[in-house]
Amino acid sequence: MRYEYTVETEDLAKYYYMGKYVVKALDGINLRVRRGEYLSIMGPSGSGKTTLFNMIGGLDRPTRGKVYIDEVDISKLDAYELAWLRCRKIGYVFQTFNLIPVLTALENVMLPMIFAGVPREQRIKKAIELLTAVGLGDRLHHKPGELSGGQQQRVAIARALANDPAIVLADEPTGNLDLNTGLEIINLMRTLNKEKGVTIITATHDLKMIDVSDRIVYIRDGKIERIETRAEVAVEL
Amino acid sequence: MSSTGTWEIGEIKFPFSEAFRFSLENIKKRFTRAAITAASVVLGIAFMNSLMMMAAINQQVSGMGGIELYQYWLLFISLLVCAVGITNSMLIAVTERYKEIGTWKTLGALDKHVLELFLIEASLIGLIGGLVGYIAGLVAAIVYGVAFQGASMAAISAALFALRTLPMPLPTAPALLILSLVVAVGISLAASLYPAYKGAKLEPAVAFRFEV
Repeated sequence: MRYEYTVETEDLAKYYYMGKYVVKALDGINLRVRRGEYLSIMGPSGSGKTTLFNMIGGLDRPTRGKVYIDEVDISKLDAYELAWLRCRKIGYVFQTFNLIPVLTALENVMLPMIFAGVPREQRIKKAIELLTAVGLGDRLHHKPGELSGGQQQRVAIARALANDPAIVLADEPTGNLDLNTGLEIINLMRTLNKEKGVTIITATHDLKMIDVSDRIVYIRDGKIERIETRAEVAVEL
Repeated sequence: MSSTGTWEIGEIKFPFSEAFRFSLENIKKRFTRAAITAASVVLGIAFMNSLMMMAAINQQVSGMGGIELYQYWLLFISLLVCAVGITNSMLIAVTERYKEIGTWKTLGALDKHVLELFLIEASLIGLIGGLVGYIAGLVAAIVYGVAFQGASMAAISAALFALRTLPMPLPTAPALLILSLVVAVGISLAASLYPAYKGAKLEPAVAFRFEV
């Protein structure tokens, strides 16, 4: 089945209650992300990027509003369904890579496929394929501690793609990487986006990301400030 | 599984063999932490075994002895201290792994899978701790028998390995081995229940926000 919008949010809000104070991390976000789009969410720290990332990824529940993934309202899902969604529909890439430290690169990439019930032979084959695609065909049996930051992030990207998700969500994927490594990761994500047609949403304040994004959503104080498509950005530059 | 309207929710799998492998890997890779947790079990079980074996040796040598009521009380308290030690140790292990638990959950793990991982780990630590504690207690009892009671090895061997009268169907030493393993795994599991539950209930967003 094909859906026009992979992600849709409707008046999405998340408030945190700190004693007497209410922190409005997100306050009425309406956003539609098309299938196959490369979308960047930009904003200064504290603007609500990560909160939006958590909401779209089903990692946290909104105070108000709705999130639709492939036309299903994920706030209605129970714990089991949410886990399945995280496993099959969404791939996550984090600033701090978040690989399982005791497992090798290959085992890390195989992990989501265990939960998806993929047979062992197929798991190994797919994981090797993915790691080769991200340029780590010769690092299959290395543990995260034996890999550089850029290599760890490549493993994380391979792992995010393990179950052929509809969306790859990346939260500051280049935040812990130097300029060149960051650029390599961005190019890798763009290539995968083009080749596999996977929708990519990144929360970032890395300006290098602008060049590859189809659209850029600027958020500030939990609200969408403006949305630019790449054509407009190119004109501005 | 169930239909949400436009797409089908499928099954999530996590075979026991995989869980067991990951738990074992965790113990191997985080050996120091596991060893400290196991040390707590070792001490408690060693105390239990030495107490009971020394009583058996005493009985063999002098025909007197047995275990006094207050010694059972002592044993109970020492196993309790052991349990608290494990809980403390496991709480730290869980807190250390907040980010990892969050990651497991983003990959599709359910609460029960995280619980399973920690409880398998606790059982293995209990099993190893119980075995080592048993051996330590046995050695302590033999040293005690020879050095302080002047018992011959034959007398010690008779005390520990001779077939006992009913209702005990096994000689003292093998009976204590079984008891040690059961008690060690039981205590380790019971003491890890709360830390494991706390880790399992963690929401990924909360887990990632948390800084150790």
